[in-house]
Amino acid sequence: MDETVAEYIRRTVLKIPRNEIKMMLQKWGFLSEAQLQTLNFHQIKDSISQEVVQLCEENSADIKQAAVLDIIYNHIYQNKRMWSVYQMKKSGEELEYFDITDFKKKFKGRLRSALKNVTITFKEYEDNAIWIRVAWGTPYKKPNQYKPSYVVYHSQTPYVFISSSVLKSNLPLLCQALIVASNYHDIREMELRSHSLNSLKDIVFKRYSQNFQTYSPKPLQGETIEPESADIRIVQENRSEKERIHRLNQEVFGGGPQPKLEFAQYQLETMFKSDPNMGVLDKKEPFRCLVKFSSPHLLESLKSLAPAGMADAPLSPLLTCIPHKARNYFKIREKKSLFPESFVSP
Amino acid sequence: GVLACLEMLESRAHREAVEQEEKEKREEKSAFLKTKIRELRLQRDQLRKKLEQLEKEQLGKEGIPLDPPLPSPREVLEWKIGNLRDLLQVFQLTGISGKLSKHGVCFSLHTAFEGSFLDSFHLELLLRPEFQEFRIQRHSIPPFIPLEQLSRKFLPSDLRGFLDSLFQHLNAFVGRRHQLEQFQEQFSEYIQGNPQRNSLCNLLSFRYQIPGKSGNSVFRAQLLYEDPCRSLPTEVSISCS
Repeated sequence: MDETVAEYIRRTVLKIPRNEIKMMLQKWGFLSEAQLQTLNFHQIKDSISQEVVQLCEENSADIKQAAVLDIIYNHIYQNKRMWSVYQMKKSGEELEYFDITDFKKKFKGRLRSALKNVTITFKEYEDNAIWIRVAWGTPYKKPNQYKPSYVVYHSQTPYVFISSSVLKSNLPLLCQALIVASNYHDIREMELRSHSLNSLKDIVFKRYSQNFQTYSPKPLQGETIEPESADIRIVQENRSEKERIHRLNQEVFGGGPQPKLEFAQYQLETMFKSDPNMGVLDKKEPFRCLVKFSSPHLLESLKSLAPAGMADAPLSPLLTCIPHKARNYFKIREKKSLFPESFVSP
Repeated sequence: GVLACLEMLESRAHREAVEQEEKEKREEKSAFLKTKIRELRLQRDQLRKKLEQLEKEQLGKEGIPLDPPLPSPREVLEWKIGNLRDLLQVFQLTGISGKLSKHGVCFSLHTAFEGSFLDSFHLELLLRPEFQEFRIQRHSIPPFIPLEQLSRKFLPSDLRGFLDSLFQHLNAFVGRRHQLEQFQEQFSEYIQGNPQRNSLCNLLSFRYQIPGKSGNSVFRAQLLYEDPCRSLPTEVSISCS
């Protein structure tokens, strides 16, 4: 077995938390159950990984199998990576019968014709997600296995999720290969990024909770506002206001959990509005600034602002339009028209 | 000879006596019922007279004939609401239902396959009567359904055609997916490995063997569903490895 492969496997196993190593090796399926039995998972990780490498040596592992283990690790710990969303455009309108074998062949063909030193690995998952791992080399160097790019694609959709390697120069090539393989003719990056891959999918696949007006035979199951106190001496003074806020919140955010985004960034290029007598700015130039909202779970925190009394309901549409517009990067310029409000660029 | 004659005469006499008895009974009963009828008729006439008299008295008092009591407004409203609810439920059962929303109309598409209701999808259309247009404002349609294509083809002139076509696409997709899930569940011993599918479930391939019958041979089947609005395949190919 190649020394670089052995080292790569050793380092990959070291990344895995000790109590999950067995499960991941089982998912990998490269080592037999009998071989797994011989491993002692209670020793220090260093020793475990050495033993795993030895077993892989027995089975003559090559870089292809090692790459699959890496995909498995990154699939389980997908939220450690930052994912960007790309949208593809199609020219024709014929029905597609996406064939995975065809896709793989075209993708590999396109990449390899431009760059000989690449490692390309595919893995399909139950939810129809196709994971692609690409390790990049140069015409003279073998691929760098420690800085691969990951692509997640669902067939017959125009969206691709990419977690780029640091080697950004390979991105155009990757995009090319994707549109060729999936029969699209153009691709562009959307202004949508997050660590939570599933939330990004929820947003572009329209799987997140939207409040649609429907007639349902069952009564609506909204969350109940604080229940009536048992003690009748306690009276809710602003009950109607609370109910108004709750109702508005439900309308905007829906009843279900929100997609998980960590930030929203607004680049302002608007004129600073102040009392003309104050003359804070000598020149009447757009005041450029960047406003960034960060949170472990931005949309949930926005949803709880009004009920917590920290903001007025309804919230600004600039904040609430995030899942609908599928973006968390905005550029706001002045709108030169009747309306004095700012204009959000598409 | 003589005894037989005597017996015959005796039985004849007996029979005639019985008949006579029955006849008398019938006549008695008939008479009784006739009197009864006469009595009841008399009673009816008396009651009629009484009723007429009472009505004349009432008329004298108010001048308006008495109507049967009206249902209260509340009862009428409840009946109307109940009726509408049932109607809405019927619409939901048909699969396509709608509701006017703040900005336009919100359509709900409830898919079903072979008697079980499956996924629901929603679509909000912005109504702009002045421009004669319907624009899709929000929706929860999966990205592999050709929503843009359909809206370009049918809207704004043919809203019904648009909804029908979209509904057919969604129903067929959900039907194909449901069949695949059922297939994996019920024939798990036959299938080898994982069936390969795409998002629309319109190309499916899997390997299988028939336990006990096919021996060691494994078959590979590929199903192609050319019509996106149907949940049955148009082409099937089976090969043996």
